[in-house]
Order: sequence, then structure tokens, then C-alpha cells
Amino acid sequence: MFRNYFKIALRNLLKYSFISSINLFGLTVGLTCCLLIFTYILHELSFDKHHQKADRIYRVTRSWSGPTGDVSLHLGTIAPAFGPYLTNDFSEIEKMTRLLQSGNVTLRYEDKLFIEENGYFADEHLFDVFDVQAIKGNVHKALNDPFSVMLTRELATKYFGNDDPINKVIRFDNQFDCKVTGVYASFPANAHMHPNLLISFNTLKDTAVYGEKRLRTSFSNNSFFTYLLFPAGYNVKNIESQFPNFIDKVMPASPESKSKPSQNTRLELQKLTDIHLRSHLDYEAEENGDIRRVYIFSAIALFILLIACINYMNLSTARSALRAREIGVRKVVGAQKKELIAQFLSESVLLSWIAIIIALVFTWISLPWLNILSGQVLSPRLLMRWPIILTLGLVPFVVGILSGLYPALFMSSFQPVKVLKGLFKTGGSNISFRKVLVVVQFSISIILIVSTVIVFQQLKYMQQKSLGFNKDHIITLPYITALSQTYDAFRTQLLEDPAIRDAGRSSRIPSTRLLDAQDSYTLVGDSMLPANLDIKYVSADYNFVTAYGVRIVAGRNFSRDFATDTAGFILNEAAVKVIGWKSPDEAVGKPFRYGITSGRVIGIMGDFHFESMHDKIAPLVLVLPPPLSSSYARISVKAAGSNLSGALNHIEKTWKSFLPDIPFTYNFLDENYARLYKSEQRQGTLFTIFAFIAIFIASLGLFGLSAFAISQRLKEIGIRKCLGAGTGTIVGLLSKDFLKLVVIAALIAFPVAWYAMYTWLADFAYRINIPWWAFIMAGLIAAGIAFATTSLIAMKAAVSNPVKNLRTE
Amino acid sequence: MIKISQLEKIYRTEDVETIALNKLSFEISEGEFVAVMGPSGCGKSTLLNIVGLLDDPDSGSFLFNGIEVSKFNERKRAELRKRNIGFVFQSFNLIDELTVFENVELPLIYLGAKLAERKNRVQEVLDKMQIMHRRNHYPQQLSGGQQQRVAVARAVVNNPKLILADEPTGNLDSANGNEVMQLLTDLNEKGTTIIMVTHSEHDARYSHRIIRMLDGQTVLENIMV
Repeated sequence: MFRNYFKIALRNLLKYSFISSINLFGLTVGLTCCLLIFTYILHELSFDKHHQKADRIYRVTRSWSGPTGDVSLHLGTIAPAFGPYLTNDFSEIEKMTRLLQSGNVTLRYEDKLFIEENGYFADEHLFDVFDVQAIKGNVHKALNDPFSVMLTRELATKYFGNDDPINKVIRFDNQFDCKVTGVYASFPANAHMHPNLLISFNTLKDTAVYGEKRLRTSFSNNSFFTYLLFPAGYNVKNIESQFPNFIDKVMPASPESKSKPSQNTRLELQKLTDIHLRSHLDYEAEENGDIRRVYIFSAIALFILLIACINYMNLSTARSALRAREIGVRKVVGAQKKELIAQFLSESVLLSWIAIIIALVFTWISLPWLNILSGQVLSPRLLMRWPIILTLGLVPFVVGILSGLYPALFMSSFQPVKVLKGLFKTGGSNISFRKVLVVVQFSISIILIVSTVIVFQQLKYMQQKSLGFNKDHIITLPYITALSQTYDAFRTQLLEDPAIRDAGRSSRIPSTRLLDAQDSYTLVGDSMLPANLDIKYVSADYNFVTAYGVRIVAGRNFSRDFATDTAGFILNEAAVKVIGWKSPDEAVGKPFRYGITSGRVIGIMGDFHFESMHDKIAPLVLVLPPPLSSSYARISVKAAGSNLSGALNHIEKTWKSFLPDIPFTYNFLDENYARLYKSEQRQGTLFTIFAFIAIFIASLGLFGLSAFAISQRLKEIGIRKCLGAGTGTIVGLLSKDFLKLVVIAALIAFPVAWYAMYTWLADFAYRINIPWWAFIMAGLIAAGIAFATTSLIAMKAAVSNPVKNLRTE
Repeated sequence: MIKISQLEKIYRTEDVETIALNKLSFEISEGEFVAVMGPSGCGKSTLLNIVGLLDDPDSGSFLFNGIEVSKFNERKRAELRKRNIGFVFQSFNLIDELTVFENVELPLIYLGAKLAERKNRVQEVLDKMQIMHRRNHYPQQLSGGQQQRVAVARAVVNNPKLILADEPTGNLDSANGNEVMQLLTDLNEKGTTIIMVTHSEHDARYSHRIIRMLDGQTVLENIMV
């Protein structure tokens, strides 16, 4: 029986090759999109699952809440002292391991000198908790001794070529030497962190590096990634509920604060496998993915597949009239309804099989291209696993049944008496249903177009909205401690070239996160009292404000003329507002204490966007560290726009004359800002592509459907022409029906698209108003494409010879 | 074999009611060859559809081999039909996408016959109809006479007790028409009951009995000698 179904299915596909190829092409493109998105989703869901103990590993995070109870800061890292206390207090913790990002480090081996990113200090328990594949060295000992380092295979080759790296000595930041004790395989792409080198944690005990006492006692340097391993099946809620008491027990209470430490800070546990998709804390090892993006793209994949399935439903029912006699005959010779349903379903399943095979090939070919667009590292190997292959094997059945069931039910219900007598006509309800399907297709397409337009408008807005300073021609360099003694001379030499306008130092630069905060105190009555406000700080020198061109709206900038400025504060307008001072002018001169430094407000700067547009402008204070301070992290150089390459050459020359042992590296600030919106940019690009594909498949279906519908009306067209109708009138008549459907589709799509984009935009602190013209534009695009599609066929029918059409009928 | 009494079938549209069969009664015994004649619209085809279990009457009784089948549902009718009844149409109604062999094989597939049995049976019938040499051709590659022979082959391949022929020679020239009538006569002589709707007095003469209809009723029965 099935052999017969298969044979007939194949012959029917060939016989109705026009409709079959539209169906096949639509399904193939739809399935290719689905497979590409499916690969992306598999990748996103696979993060950190390669560790054998993945479901038992938790990361400890720390949050702070303000006086209103709102979380003001939530970090994926905690202070170093917590780790040992945790293992001491909670016997259920099987293992604890800590990692600390080393920042960019300069590594020298013989004549090789490079700056390396992604260095981590890691303790010896790392290998007990995580699965890291060791290539050389003994993982149980490699990180035991201070000043030991393990490298990835790539890094080992970079420094040592084919030589055995074990026991080789590398100089770090020109400060200390480390012995290579092991080589490991790079962490896979689907890991939430990618250390290039692991320096033994015990190195931190050296006072010159960090200091053992600080490691033991510091609760304020919350930079340590701390992972805990629990026994299988352990409910971590048990331990989490004890964290407040634990905090109060181990953390010294602030002498000024009457409240317990647990009242404003919390420790939480985060499942390792949740970090990539569900963790968006203020400090993460790397930029994470987003479960919402997974949902959005899953929905897009399903929508595109639905559009392709609708094509099949529409075209199959449209051409059912052509198959009516076959169905009648089959019934007469004994076919039951269920056998006919099986036959039609086997046709759609067969088509889906062909489509998925071609789609797999397309996916294979287009994956590298998607990787470029999405910035992902997706591999077709993700699909080459048995559970996935078996799932993929089910897809043609699901798609085949989804797209074929309605046509099968519809066609199998034909009455043989009627169809064999030629009394069969495709009924009104069936035509209406087809129209509903076209409306669904175009609604989805219009929603995608509106979304694309709005995503790009928001991107444009974020990139063009004034930041409150001019981000152009600002080059940022790392601030090296070795420069602290000679910085003034370095700056003077920099400014010798007219291509350089200014240069200033700071602990953080705009485009990064503001994560540092201390308690602020203001004068109430006669005494300085805690303001209980979340005010961030940046350490900045005399030239930070001028280099960035930040406006001073009241008071003045830090100045070398005032020795007391290390106790002076520059606040932004947002800080003035939260403190409750009435105006910037009133604020200037007010007593202010920040952390342990007491002084006065010397200036108020206009608000500017330090962080991305996702975040509201935070209250900020600039503090001036004492000379020779190590608080600075970056130098920002403002160049004249006319000769940027000359400016860069001069900066490099100056750098090399002061820091011959440190490689010169730099960033352009505007590029940093662009990177902040990279994920939205990619999302926008992918939206455009998928919206285009959706409307393409929908118009392909419309093309087939209108071709069929018009072929049924050739006699009418002939008669109208004989009676004097012109080509334009006939094209208008034939296209009108389909345009009406697009109008209905638009009316359905608009509110849905509005709601979807309203929700999406809510994520941005600074966002556009949803532009009304995006809807008009999407509607016009859809109508234009629908009109072009149908009028192409209508035109062909309208210009044909009416006599021929009448004779054909 | 067939006993019809007081059979009624009315087609209704919004304004018009057409009585296709008006309390029709007759009997047909096993092995008979009956021709049904009458002007267009007299209810011949409606009768054939009801006897062929393709349509159901509005009222009245229809006994097939002693079983009341007028109230059978679609599934039961299809089951009874595929085991007992073969159809031959004026317009042949072969499936264009299937070869001669596959068209004839179709009823056996729906009967659930095994592949080897189907092959033997189809070959046997095609041999008998003398179109074995055309077994791999498609219907559109055959002449009208050949197509009707295929249709007859398809109608008899599962050895039905009853063959219903709806103007089987209507689309054929007289030579081919005679050939088809001869085939039907041969089948009847081997025991198959045949009911044939025809406009042709010539074809009707091959039958044992002619039922003449007008306005949904029998008006005359001629016994052929």
C-alpha cells in the first residue's frame, strides 16, 4: 500500500511541477531557516553542559540593596574571604574553587612580548569542579605552587613553538616570573568563560601581587568568581536560606551602620548551566546570551515554517479540483476515507522529506555565513548527535502532517458521485479558509517588517543620541603602573604634537559599566550622616573632564592650583538630584563625604551617558586620587579629527619611548560604544533576513495561488475583454482580491507588532517612541509585494487573446 | 440479489425540489444482465449510484444479498462496495498518473491483497482483455476502446458479484462498443450480475431484461428473448 502511495506521490509531484516546486522551495527555505535557528538554539542551550558535574555546580553571586530595598548592584563575583568561610561553615559543599580575572597581562618570553587577554588566577580545585582537558602536566599539582601558570595549547605554541613548554619561565607585566606547569585544551565555545592562561591562586598570596591577608579578610573586593560543588540531588535552597546568618557571622559590621550586614547585602547561588542564558548581572566573566533571544528566534523559526506550511495547504487545496476525478475513482474502486487521507499525507510527508534533505545541505553551506552575521561559533556537528538526528527524522512527519492534514481531510471528503459527474466545484468555505491562511501569512510578514524597522530605528537612536560629550577621536590606552612616576612627562610629550588635544586618566572610561560605589554622607544639621544613596564613582585626574569635553554646569573642574582637590568632588546632575540639592549652583561648596574621604563639592558636571542606553544615567561622583595613585586604569587621548593616523603614530612613538617593554595597544572610544549595541545590531540584521525570507515565501505562495485562481477565471477575463475591458481594469480586478487580504492582514498585524515592540523597547532606559510610519511602511511593502506578485500573473492573463481563453473554456 | 422497494431520492436546492427516484421498486436476481433505459434526467444514474452504494436513498429499502444496506454509513458502504461491486463508466475514469497495470491493480490494493497475488490476478485479467502488451502504458497513450477494456479489467479484477456499467459504450465507436458489450456478455455468462444504464437500444439487446424509467419510476419492463 505504502509503495503505491509513494509512487503516486512522486508522480503527482512531477505532474504538478509548478505548484510542487513552489511548495518544495518554500518548505526548503523555511526548514533551512528553522535548522539554522535550531542549531543556534542548541548551541545556546548547551552552555557549560559539557562538565560532568554541571548540574551540581553553582556560582555564588552578591547583591547590594539600597534603602528602598531595590537591588542597586548585583555581581557574578564575590569577595575573596567568602570562599573559605563558606566551605568551613557548610559541610555539604564538596568543593569550592575561585577564579580572579587578571585583566590584560603583558607576557614576555625571550624576545616574544604580547599582551594577553582572558588571564585568570585559579586555585587547584578548579579541576575537581570543572572538566578541563589537560594536555601536559599534572592537573592535581599544576596550580599548587605560587608563580605557576598553565596555558592553552594555542598560547603554548605562540610562545614556545614546538618546544616542550613545561618548566619554561614567562615574565608577567615585568613584575614577576611564572613557571609553566601545564597545558590544557581551550575551553569550548559553549563555556561562559574562556581563560587563556591560569595562574596559580597561591601567587595572589604574595604581597607584591595581592597579599594573603587581603585574600583572607577582604569583603570589599568583590571580583572573585566562586563556584561550589554540591552532592547530587542536594537542594541548594537549604544553604541559601542560611546565607543571611552566615553573612552576619563572618562579615564585620560597619562601625557607622547600625544595621546588620545581611540587611543590605545578599549572597545567592546561580546554577552553572543557567549562567549563559539567564544571568545578566552587573559583572560577568563574558557577555552572556539571553533566553529571550532564544524565544524570539524560536518564534521566528516557527512562523517561517508556518508560512511555508500554509503555502502547501493553500496550493494543495487550490489544485484539488484537478484531482477530484482521481479521488472519485479511488473511492469507487474501494478506497476508504482513511486510505485517501494516508495517501495525501504521504505526499506531503514525502515532499517534506525531500525538503529537509535539501535544507540540511543548505544549512551546512550557510552556517559559516550565519556565524559571521550573528557572531556565533555554530558548528553543524551540533546536529550530528543521535537524539537530534532522531528528532530531525520526525520533522518531515510533523511538517508533512501539519501542512497536509487540511488538504487531505478536504480532498478525501469529496463525493464520488459528484466529482465523477463533473459537478464538483471548490466550495465557498474552502476558498474562505484559503483567504484566512493568506491573511495569516501576511500578518506574520508584516509583524516581522515592523519589528525590523523599529529595531533599526532604536539602534540608530542609540548611536546618534547625544551622549553629553563628544565620543569622536578619543583613543584610549591602558594605564600601566610603571607610568605613574613619569606620567606628567609622558603627557607633556603627547601634547607636543598638535594632533593631540588633551589626555586624561581615569579608573573607568565611558562605554564601560559603573560598578564602583562607596557610602556617601551629607550634612544634616551639624553632622555628616549617611545619605543611603547609590552613587557610583570614577577616579579621574585633572584632564578627564576636559579630554571628554564634559560640560561643567556649576563650579569648576579639578585643578592643580588647588592642593585640596583630592578632597574635592565633582558630581553629575543626577547625583545632585538624588541627594536633594535644589540646583547645581546650590550644590557647589556643600560638605560631602564619600567613603573615607571628607571634603566639599567643587563642581557639577552635566549628565552624560557613561554606560549604554540600556541603563539610566547613574548618579556619579568624580574623585581625584592622590598623586602616584594606582587607581587609574585607562588614559583617554583626545585627538584632533583632521590627522588621526598622525595622532596614533605620535601616541605610539611616545608610548615606546616611555614603555619600551610594553606592547602598544589602543581602542577608539566610538568603536567601544558601537560594541555596546553589537547584539542588537546582529539581532536587527537577522530580523531583516528572516523578515525578507518570510515575505518571500509568503509571496511565493501568493504567486502560486493567484496563478491558479486566475487560471480558473480565464473565461470571465475573455468575456470582459470582449465587452471592452482594458488591461489595466482587468489587472486591477484580479489584484484587488489579494490586496484586500493584505489590508486585513495589516489590520491584524499592527496591534500585535506594536505590543511586541513596546515590550522589546521597555528594555532600554532611553528609547524611541514607536514610529507610526513603520506600520505604514510595512503595510506598503507587503501590499507592494503582493501587488507585484499578483499583477504579474494578472497582466499575463489580461493581455492574452480572449478568443483563445473562451475556446479553452 | 437486489431487492429495491419504495426507493425515494429527492434533490433539493433552495427553491427547487427534484424527485430523482419516486417510490421505485424492482428486483434483480443473481446472474441477470439488466439494462436500464430512459430519457436524460429520468433517474437512471441516481439509481445506479444508489445500487453501487455511492449514494444513499432518502427513504425506501434496498436489500443487497438479503441485507438492508440503505442505512449503511460511508465506511460500511465502501467495505461492501469494494468486495462486491465493479464499475464501468462512459468516460472510463482511469487515473492518468497510473499505468494500465496500476489502474487495474488498484481495487486489489484497497482489498489488501498481497503483491504476488495482485500481480497474478492483474496479469490474468489483462490477458483476458487482450491488453497485456499495453500494461506499462498510461491511459492517455491508449485508444478509447483500449481504455474502456482497461476500465472493464479494473471492474472485474476482484471478481465482483455485480458490475454496474454507466453507458459503457457512450464514448466509443461501434466496433469498440461491440467489443466492450461482448466482454460484458462473457462476464455475465460466467455468472456476474450486470446492471447497465444505456441510451442505446443496440446495447440493450445484449441484456436479459430492460427496465425503462421515466420521472423516477419504472414504466415498462421488457424481457429479452
